[in-house]
Amino acid sequence: MAESSKKRRRTNTDDLPFKNKLKPDSAILQTLKDFSTSFSSSSSSSKTLTLQDLSLPFSCREVSDLSLSSVQSNIESLVLRIAHSILSGNGFAFDVPSRAATNQFYVPELDRIVLKDKSSLRPFANISTVRKSAITARILQLVHQLCNKGIHVTKRDLFYTDVKLFQDQIQSDMVLDDVSCMLGCTRSSLNVVAAEKGVVVGRLIFSDNGDMIDCTKMGMGGKAIPPNIDRVGDMQSDALFILLVEKDAAYMRLAEDRFYNRFPCIIVTAKGQPDVATRLFLKKMKMELKLPVLALVDSDPYGLKILSVYGCGSKNMSYDSANLTTPDIKWLGVRPSDLDKYKIPEQCRLPMTEQDIKTGKDMLEEDFVKKNPGWVEELTLMVKTKQKAEIQALSTFGFQYLSEVYLPLKLQQKDWL
Amino acid sequence: MDSSESPTETKKTKSKTPRKNKETVLKQKSPAEFFAENKNIAGFDNPGKSLYTTVRELVENSLDSAESISELPVVEITIEEIKKSKFNSMIGLIDCERVDAELYDDYETEKAREKRLAKEARAQEIQAKNAALGKKVKETPASKGIRGRGEASFYRVICKDNGKGMPHDDIPNMFGRVLSGTKYGLKQTRGKFGLGAKMALIWSKMSTGLPIEISSSMRNQSYMSFCRLDIDIHKNIPHVHVHEKRENKERWRGAEIQVVIEGNWTTYRSKILHYMRQMAVITPYAQFLFKFVSDAPEKNVTIRFSRRTDVMPPVPLETKHHPSSVDLLLIKRLIAETSKQNLLQFLQHEFVNISKSHAERLIGEMGPDFSPKMALKSLTPQQLVRIHQLFRQAKFDDPNGHCLSPAGEYNLRLGIIKELHPDMVATYSGSAQVFEGHPFIVEAGVSIGGKNVKQGLNIFRFANRIPLLFEQGADVVTRTALKRINWSSYKINQLQDKIGIFVSIVSTKIPFKGTGKEYIGDDITEIASAVKYSIKQCCVQLKSKIVKKMQAREQQERKRNLSKYIPDATGAVYNVLKDMAETQLHASKKFRYGDDDGELLRKVYENLITKETLSEKLAKHVEQVDYEMALEYATQSGVSEEPRETIYIKPLETENKIIDLHSPFFVFRMFH
Repeated sequence: MAESSKKRRRTNTDDLPFKNKLKPDSAILQTLKDFSTSFSSSSSSSKTLTLQDLSLPFSCREVSDLSLSSVQSNIESLVLRIAHSILSGNGFAFDVPSRAATNQFYVPELDRIVLKDKSSLRPFANISTVRKSAITARILQLVHQLCNKGIHVTKRDLFYTDVKLFQDQIQSDMVLDDVSCMLGCTRSSLNVVAAEKGVVVGRLIFSDNGDMIDCTKMGMGGKAIPPNIDRVGDMQSDALFILLVEKDAAYMRLAEDRFYNRFPCIIVTAKGQPDVATRLFLKKMKMELKLPVLALVDSDPYGLKILSVYGCGSKNMSYDSANLTTPDIKWLGVRPSDLDKYKIPEQCRLPMTEQDIKTGKDMLEEDFVKKNPGWVEELTLMVKTKQKAEIQALSTFGFQYLSEVYLPLKLQQKDWL
Repeated sequence: MDSSESPTETKKTKSKTPRKNKETVLKQKSPAEFFAENKNIAGFDNPGKSLYTTVRELVENSLDSAESISELPVVEITIEEIKKSKFNSMIGLIDCERVDAELYDDYETEKAREKRLAKEARAQEIQAKNAALGKKVKETPASKGIRGRGEASFYRVICKDNGKGMPHDDIPNMFGRVLSGTKYGLKQTRGKFGLGAKMALIWSKMSTGLPIEISSSMRNQSYMSFCRLDIDIHKNIPHVHVHEKRENKERWRGAEIQVVIEGNWTTYRSKILHYMRQMAVITPYAQFLFKFVSDAPEKNVTIRFSRRTDVMPPVPLETKHHPSSVDLLLIKRLIAETSKQNLLQFLQHEFVNISKSHAERLIGEMGPDFSPKMALKSLTPQQLVRIHQLFRQAKFDDPNGHCLSPAGEYNLRLGIIKELHPDMVATYSGSAQVFEGHPFIVEAGVSIGGKNVKQGLNIFRFANRIPLLFEQGADVVTRTALKRINWSSYKINQLQDKIGIFVSIVSTKIPFKGTGKEYIGDDITEIASAVKYSIKQCCVQLKSKIVKKMQAREQQERKRNLSKYIPDATGAVYNVLKDMAETQLHASKKFRYGDDDGELLRKVYENLITKETLSEKLAKHVEQVDYEMALEYATQSGVSEEPRETIYIKPLETENKIIDLHSPFFVFRMFH
C-alpha cells in the first residue's frame, strides 16, 4: 500500500524541472559508495592532529573530559585555597581564563578556533567583579554538590537553585562556562547539561544509557539527541553519509519522505544554531563511523555561520573546540550559485538587509571561509547579488522537490564544496 | 471649520449662484475677510485653539510693548468664564427654554437612555467590587451629558501690561485694520503676521459679536485713552463705538485689552499653562500673573511667574536686507522707498555687507548699461532682473548677528532653573550663522531632573523667544534630539532620566514650515547642524558633572554593594568546606589533604571556623579595600576640585612700609 502510493506520488512529479537529468537511483548510489569508501580510507589513514603536534608560538588552553572525582578534587583544592586566602584577611579572587574575541585564535592546521591562555583576575573586593565572583563561588559549590551526588541537572535547574543571586539564566550560563574553563574540564564533566534540542533520524543504531535505539524506527520526529554524550555508545550504521540540516522544516520533509531509505544516510538537525550535545554527537558519529558530512543550510550568511560553528567551533566554547568540532563538513546546499542553476524564481528570493550584507562581508574576512576557495566564491556571489534564499525556496516547485530532485541531483553530481 | 457661518456677503452670493454662472461677478476680498475665512492660518482653528492663540497674541504684544521702552515687563492675564445665561444677558438675549426636545441634536432617545443606564450600572457594579476587594478605586469620569453642538462656552480675556501704551488717535487703526502694523520692518520680532490682537477681534466678532475694549496710557500723558470698537470685516476698517479720553489719576502707564470670545478651557487648559510656563522660562525678566476665574471656585487657577532677573536682552535692531536674501519684488519696493538717488548709494546704503568699493565692483560686473551715477528711477525692469541675478550669484559676506536679540545664556539658564528646578543644567549659546541671507542664533539648554518633568526627553522649543507648542513631531529640534544625539555616550539615560531640552532660535526670518507657523522644518541643514552642535555642547558640559556624580555615588555605595555579596560568597565556600570535612571524617584513615588543609577542615568540622568567621574576615577585607579606594579617590579628585586663588597674608610683626596714593575716589596702598 505504501509502496503504491509512493509510486503514484512520483509519477505526478515527473514534470519537475531537472528531473530528467536524474540517473536511476542505483547509479547515484554507486557514486556515493565510491565517495564514501574513498573518504573513510583517507580519513583512517591520516591521524587527527592535536595541539601538541603543532608547535604554536603561544600556549593554548584546552580542556578535557575529567572524571567526577577529579572535578571534585579540583573544586576542593580551589575552595581550600580561597578559604585560606579569606582567613588570612586577603579576600579572594578567581583567575578566570578570558573568552574574549581577542583571546581566540583560528588554527588552520586543525581547522578550528582555539583559546589562548590569557586570563583575568576576578577579585571579590572590586565593584565591577564582585557579582561575578560571588556567582562563580556559588556555581562551584553547586557543581561540587552534583559531583558528590553523582547526578546530572540542566542549566535551567542550576539557575533555579538561586534565582535571587543569578537574576537571569544568561549570567549563570556564562559563569558555568567560565567554571569549566577554569577547572580545565568540558562542560559535560560538570554534570550540567542543556535541554535536548537536536534530533537524529536514519540509518543509525546506538545505545542510549544501555537501551538500543534504531533511528529508522523512531517515527517521523526522530530520536532526540541525548544531552550527555557519555551515555551514548555502540554506534552502528550502514549509511553512506551524514546529512546535516539547518532547519526543522527541511528535516521533517526528509524524514517523512524517508529519504534515508532511498539513499542510506543519517539526518541530523539542531534547529538553528547547534547546541553542545548535537555538536558532540556529530563529532562522535563522524569519528566512529567515518562518514562524510554534507550540510544543507540556507543560502544566507547565517547558514554559513551555522556551518562554521559545526566545523570549527563557536568563540564562546572555543576552550573545548577539540571535542566539539567536526572538521571537513561539505557544503552541499543551498548555495548562492544554486539559485540560478536551479532557476529559483525571483519571488522566492529575498533581498539581503544592510545587516546581512555586513555579516556577509565580515565573514569573507574569516579564516575558516578563506581556507576554502569554493566558499569564498559562493559568498562573494551572495554579497554581490544581494540575494538570499531559504531551503524552503525549493518548495516553489512542489513540497517534495527537495527530496525528489534537488538532493538526488546534487548527490549524483557530487556537487559539494 | 465653521466658516460657513460667517455672514460674509461673498459667501452668500457664492452659495446662491450655482453652476449656471449667469454672470461671473468679480469680487474683491478684504484682508480681514480673508483671515476670517482662513482663520486656521493664524491659529484660530477651533474655539479651544482660538482661546490659546488669543492669550498668546496678547501676551506677546505686551512683552514687545514693554521691551520697546526697556521696561521690565509685568503682564497680567485673566481668563473669565462666562456662562451661557450670563452671556445672553450681556448681549440682551432672553434665555429660551427648550419646548420641542426632539428637535435638538443632543436629545436622548429611549433606547440610548436604556443603554447608558445599563452601562452606568455595570460600571458601578465593577467599582463596588473593586472597592470590596480593597483595590484602589479609580475615579470614574462623571458621566457627562452628551454635549450638543450649540453648547458653546465664552470667555473674557483681559491682558494688562506696563508697556509703552498706544497713541490716542492710532488706537482704532491699530486694532481695526488687518495687516497694518508697526512691526513690519526687517528685524527679529515675536509676532507672526502682524495680526496679533486683530485676529482676536475678528474671532470675537465671529463668535460673540461683542466689541473689544482698550484702555491705554502713554508716558507723560495726563489722560487715559478708552476705546470700544469692532471691525468692519468687508471694508477692513475699524468701527468705533466709544473713543474718549478719561481721567488717569494713578498715572498708570500701559495698555489693557479686553475681548470676549468663544473658547474651550477644558481641552486647552494644559496648553495655555504650558505656554505660560515656557514663556516664563525664556523671559525670566518678566513677571506674569495668570488667572482663570469661573463660577466654580475649584476650577479657578492663579499662577504667578515671578521675575528672577532684571537683565533684559537688548531690543532687536531693525536691519537692512542682505543682498542674497532679496527677491525682485523687494528690490522694486526698496527702490521706491529709498531716499537715495543713484545706484551706487542705493547699493551701499540699503543693504548690509556692501561697502562702497564692493558696490562699485558689483556695478562694473552688471554690464555696460550700468554706471554708479545712474539714477535709480531710470532702471528698466530688465536691469532690475540683472541686479537680482547678480545678487544671487555673487558672494557676499555673511550678515553678522548684531541685529538679533537672543535670550542669552544667562537668561535661559535662569529661566530653566526658575521654572524646573533641575538637578543639573548646562547651556550653550552659538555664534550667529546664516540661512538664505538671514542671520540666526541657536541657543540650547539641557537639564537633568527637576520637578514636574516627565521621564525621558522633554522638549521645549522657542522661536524668536516665543514658545512653540504644536506640531512638535516634525520639528528640527525634536528630530535632532531623538535621532541624532547619542545620549548614552554622555551617560544620560534617554528613557529613565528626566531630560529637559531647551532650544531657542532667533532670526530676522524664522523658516517656519506649515501654515500655522508652529514648527521649523528638519530639512534646513544649517539650522539642523547648529541645533545638534548646541545640544551636544550642553551634553559635553553635563557629562563631566554626571561622571563626577556617578563616581561620588560609587564611592558612597561601594562598601554596601560589596558587602551585599559577602553572604553568598562565604556561604558557598563554607558549604563546600563542610561537605569536605564530613567526607573526610568518613574516610578518616586516608589522608587526602596537606597539613594546612587538614587543619582547616578539622576546624570546620569542630565548628571553630563557621560561615560567620569567613564572613567576618571577608567583611574586614572589604572594609580595608574600601578605605584604600576612598583614600585614592580623595587624593585624585580632591586636588582638582576648584582652582585655587593665591592669597597674600600680611606679616604680623614687620613694620608697615606703605605708600598711599590718594585720588578723589579711592586710595591705592602699596606694600613694600
